Amino acid sequence: MLEAIRHYSTPADQVNPLTKILIAVGLFLTVIFIHDPNHLFHLSILMLILLALLSGVKIRYLALFTVTILFFGMISSLYMIFYGEGTTTLLRFGIVHITEESAVRGLHIMMRGVVLSFFGALIVFTTRLTDVFYSMMQQGRLKPKFAYAFMAAIRMVPIIAGEYMTLRRARKVRRPLIHRKYISGYKGFSTTIITLLSQSIRRAYRLGIAMESKGFDDGARTYYHRTSFSVLDIIFIIVIILTVISASELGQWYSPFPTRDAR
Amino acid sequence: MVKRNGLTLTDVLVTVVIALVFSFIYSIWGGVYTALEPLGLHLNQLLYGMWFIAAVVAYLIIRKPGVALIAEFAAASGETIVLLQFDVMLIVYGLIQGLACEIVFAIVKYKSTSLMVAVTAGVAAALSTLPLDWYYGYLGQLATWNLLLMFGFRVLSGALIAGGLAHLLYQGLKGTGVLKLVGRKVPADEGL
Repeated sequence: MLEAIRHYSTPADQVNPLTKILIAVGLFLTVIFIHDPNHLFHLSILMLILLALLSGVKIRYLALFTVTILFFGMISSLYMIFYGEGTTTLLRFGIVHITEESAVRGLHIMMRGVVLSFFGALIVFTTRLTDVFYSMMQQGRLKPKFAYAFMAAIRMVPIIAGEYMTLRRARKVRRPLIHRKYISGYKGFSTTIITLLSQSIRRAYRLGIAMESKGFDDGARTYYHRTSFSVLDIIFIIVIILTVISASELGQWYSPFPTRDAR
Repeated sequence: MVKRNGLTLTDVLVTVVIALVFSFIYSIWGGVYTALEPLGLHLNQLLYGMWFIAAVVAYLIIRKPGVALIAEFAAASGETIVLLQFDVMLIVYGLIQGLACEIVFAIVKYKSTSLMVAVTAGVAAALSTLPLDWYYGYLGQLATWNLLLMFGFRVLSGALIAGGLAHLLYQGLKGTGVLKLVGRKVPADEGL
């Protein structure tokens, strides 16, 4: 996926998509149980290095991506920085009350998001979307009707987007002629979404019937695209586990945060 | 079409497409959600119900077991597809919210399409992820008034957007006649 912005392909491309997704879920659970901000600090740096090495994405796109992630991560943790409980006051301004404890906790929450985003990006850059569904069917024992329904629906996204643009343009042209409520407000929203939904349901229904009659239903089948597990999956799992452990060790050695527990 | 009560490929396809339409819409509007965040006052929580409206709408249309869960999964992964951004958290949250809706719908045996059911499902979904947020976002360490604000906004949003708005959209869709094609066939006197 996204070959245009990549330098080279990496071994991570060959890892089974199912493995990557399961690791992502595991990482999510791990991150929830990490309370040491120093551990997370090093983990997010190591994740960035992994992303840079294994994704093969050109450096300027990577830089742009990193800045975006940090910015949005910061924004989404502001609630804790501003209103979290703590005793050592750093700044008080109206209802905003920033304390050392709440600032560390806020940054901790931000780094959780950052770690997950970096790993998520690694998956997106190294996985073809259709392969996810093929491996879910072949290794994950997902029923084909679910997988093919998803893949067919994904192909409809550009059509939906196109329809939305048409609708918007049509409104733009008619703007002086129709009442404002059909453009903004609830009426505008509902007419847009009901149009999009009803068209999409009709199209999905037609396509669904066609696919059912062509045998895209349950039952034994063969595949042209094959996915499988390999030794790379095991290596990938070990690399991620080693990353989490070494981040913890690095946190002991160099601690940018004064506390070991963000709670 | 063969009359079956289980999910057919068409049902799944329609569900996923409905969810993708929603994920497309809120990929555009996701900016609003983020724009409301900086104040830290949880105004963004007022829009929270939008994240699981797909499950309620899909259920109202199809009324079969599993639809809410699939719709939520699709809406959550829809962001990956539309924005090319893979977020595990979103998918885990989506699955939990879908499950919460699913439980409510199972209680009414996948029959009722009343407003109350939609609202209940919306509130259930809004509450379902609080335990996870509690651990992830250290909500216990938040000033009490701020926590209550977030809590209130979220439940309100679940009821209004995922419940009320979803039901309005359902009725609007019914008016277009497209719903005759899909969903479980019910006797004419049933439902709304």
